[in-house]
Amino acid sequence: MWLETQRAFRATVTGVDDAIAPQAHSAHGTLAQRVAVYRNTVQQSLIDVLASAFPAVQRIVGVRFFSALARDFVRSHLPDVPQLSVYGVKFPDFIATHKRLSDLQYLADVARLEWARGESYFAADAAPLDLAGLAAIAPERLASVIFTLHPATRLVVSPHAIHRVWMVNQPDVVDVPAIDIGIAERVILTRPHYAVMVRLIAPADAAFVAALNRKLSLGAAAGEALSVDPAFNLQAVLQDHFIHGTFSTVQTE
Amino acid sequence: MSELNLKALAAAVAGAVAVASFAAPSFAQGMGDSKGKEKCYGVSKAGENQCASANGSHSCQAQSKVDLDGNEWKYVEAGSCAKMGGKIQAFQGKGTPMKKNGG
Repeated sequence: MWLETQRAFRATVTGVDDAIAPQAHSAHGTLAQRVAVYRNTVQQSLIDVLASAFPAVQRIVGVRFFSALARDFVRSHLPDVPQLSVYGVKFPDFIATHKRLSDLQYLADVARLEWARGESYFAADAAPLDLAGLAAIAPERLASVIFTLHPATRLVVSPHAIHRVWMVNQPDVVDVPAIDIGIAERVILTRPHYAVMVRLIAPADAAFVAALNRKLSLGAAAGEALSVDPAFNLQAVLQDHFIHGTFSTVQTE
Repeated sequence: MSELNLKALAAAVAGAVAVASFAAPSFAQGMGDSKGKEKCYGVSKAGENQCASANGSHSCQAQSKVDLDGNEWKYVEAGSCAKMGGKIQAFQGKGTPMKKNGG
């Protein structure tokens, strides 16, 4: 009985159904009216969490549409972990399959970029790569070293111009240029010190990072990058990754 | 490895290390105490704390359950911690944010 009541209350405050809606009246209105107060609080706080995790998505579709979209999501995706920073991980997929968003094919990937940014922000601390340690490795062994990506590193690859869309949907942007949405873009997110860096990278660089993430050796990953683009410049790319804290450790096999 | 010989790879790594060490010397020193930031206890709202509470009640970010808990910390600009009602050491109880305009 008690469990049933709890389930009914949960279903009601989360807006799944009106399980608790007997016509009990009191001086303070019907029970349904009184439960609605809780329902609004629960739903609105989850909607607010989504809005703060996906600000660019909210800007793109507008506050009112976003609220309706988030409310739909909340009804079908109740939090399964008591931690608000991980609520919304399924929101990009929800956007991808939403009927009314079929015109905005790029929107789900913009949401993935924003989610990756949050993950990067909340990822565990770790020291960045020890460059002196890397420099001490014998040159003939460098091709076989294996880099570990920093816990805060994320790679988002999209067939759409998600970096440009994300950039022009930042709070301080006034002039929005015309964007060719059909240009594929790859974005890497890293967190040197305490700010998340969002960088657009070349296709070969993305292939390089993806290969390193699969624990391929430096030599093999560079080979994959070169097969994407023969002009892949390993030194320039590594330099940027070192400066932006993409890696945390390097191991000789 | 056919596309990139060992010598070229080693040279690329050495060059990248040299430039990156020059461009970001602070990297070698790790991230334990970021320049211009300090750990500030008692100012984070529930769910907005950074990693590991001082009393071991949880291990990572955003797991705090109480606003302004004295065991919870977040990074703030150096020097601004006390101004926000927090302390740079963990303490029992809650932070006391000052009201705006002295009221």
